[in-house]
Amino acid sequence: MCDSCGCPSPSHTHDHDHSHDHDHSSKTVDVHASLFAANDAMAKANRDHFDELGAVALNLISSPGSGKTTLLEHTIEALKGEIKIGVIEGDPETDRDAERIRAKGVPVVQLTTGGACHLDAAMTHKGFHLLEKEPGYEPVDLLFIENVGNLVCPASFDLGEHERVVLVSVPEGPDKPAKYPRTFGTAHTFLITKTDLLPYFDFPVEEARGEALKTNPNLKVMELSSTTGDGFDAWLDYLRAMVKAKKAA
Amino acid sequence: MHEMSLVQGLFEQLKGLAAENNSTKVLSVTMEIGPICGVVVDSFQFGFEILSSQEEMFKNTELIIEIPEVTYTCTSCGHQEVSAGERPDACAKCDEFFLTPSGGDDLILKRVEME
Ligand SMILES: Nc1nc2c(ncn2[C@@H]2O[C@H](COP(=O)(O)OP(=O)(O)OP(=O)(O)O)[C@@H](O)[C@H]2O)c(=O)[nH]1
Ligand SMILES: [Zn+2]
Ligand SMILES: [Zn+2]
Ligand SMILES: [Zn+2]
Repeated sequence: MCDSCGCPSPSHTHDHDHSHDHDHSSKTVDVHASLFAANDAMAKANRDHFDELGAVALNLISSPGSGKTTLLEHTIEALKGEIKIGVIEGDPETDRDAERIRAKGVPVVQLTTGGACHLDAAMTHKGFHLLEKEPGYEPVDLLFIENVGNLVCPASFDLGEHERVVLVSVPEGPDKPAKYPRTFGTAHTFLITKTDLLPYFDFPVEEARGEALKTNPNLKVMELSSTTGDGFDAWLDYLRAMVKAKKAA
Repeated sequence: MHEMSLVQGLFEQLKGLAAENNSTKVLSVTMEIGPICGVVVDSFQFGFEILSSQEEMFKNTELIIEIPEVTYTCTSCGHQEVSAGERPDACAKCDEFFLTPSGGDDLILKRVEME
């Protein structure tokens, strides 16, 4: 592959300044269409559907193991009897995360992506309808979509969520916002997780916060630990406020 | 490698276009890949090579890639900087960190040449 001009052939290198003498039956069509258009249209349909139902949808994005499922377990526990929660789990394989959520007594659907690195709007659409068919399903106020563990690819795919939450756990280090500006740039909320581990890792919270705000000045930044419950109040209030605003709309 | 699924979607679209225009061969495809659209140019090219080699219609298709510029506006003094590569670390005028990007966040199929 030729790096300088994007020429797709691995073997030949030629420059593209020469005119292309294709024969006269050739035809050029100006398309000018985004490759994200199909996904974006489906995402909009999802969002409209959630709006109609009065449900808030959140897309959780992080590296593998940053604590998404644990956070959901504790959140469900804390909001039991107050807010009706549903979960769509995206995982490359297995339904272990879904089993953990199901054990908390809320409807959950596992989407195995067959190795794919992100969820898209069509999968989310399918997932939501499967969720509605879960035994004992009641309309949810709050839908969590746990994306596939990966900080890169999910950023390019709108699922129809209302807010996008990026998680970075303390052991991962503070430089993630600088390394993944697109992910932080499209997010609404940044959660620093596993703060109980701060004494054992070099993670200057203020530096991470500053880097994140550099990529996205509107980001809401929160810190919490699922293990100790520190910082949970702010997180739960954030969820409550969104659900309340949606009901009032 | 979400680039692979994007290329798959692109080829579906190209097949539709070829059918509409009674074409059997795609000569060239011009893509505009924004520097902040979340697509790695090398991965996109790689996906394109792999998938194009699997279909007669795309065997000799040339992939032309254009990289548009992104305009970064300083949130404090309004100074604008244009870049098609790296995001500037800070405003060149006042050292402000908060820069708002505009443009360069899309992946666009611009032009297709067929016969
Ligand atoms: N110390 C500490 N460990 C935590 C915390 N939250 C989660 N963990 C641990 O981190 C590991 C991964 O947590 P998960 O909740 O499975 O992470 P995940 O993001 O859902 O992982 P994937 O779905 O595989 O991407 C588990 O061993 C958890 O017990 C926390 O607040 N503090
Ligand atoms: Zn998980
Ligand atoms: Zn990917
Ligand atoms: Zn400035």
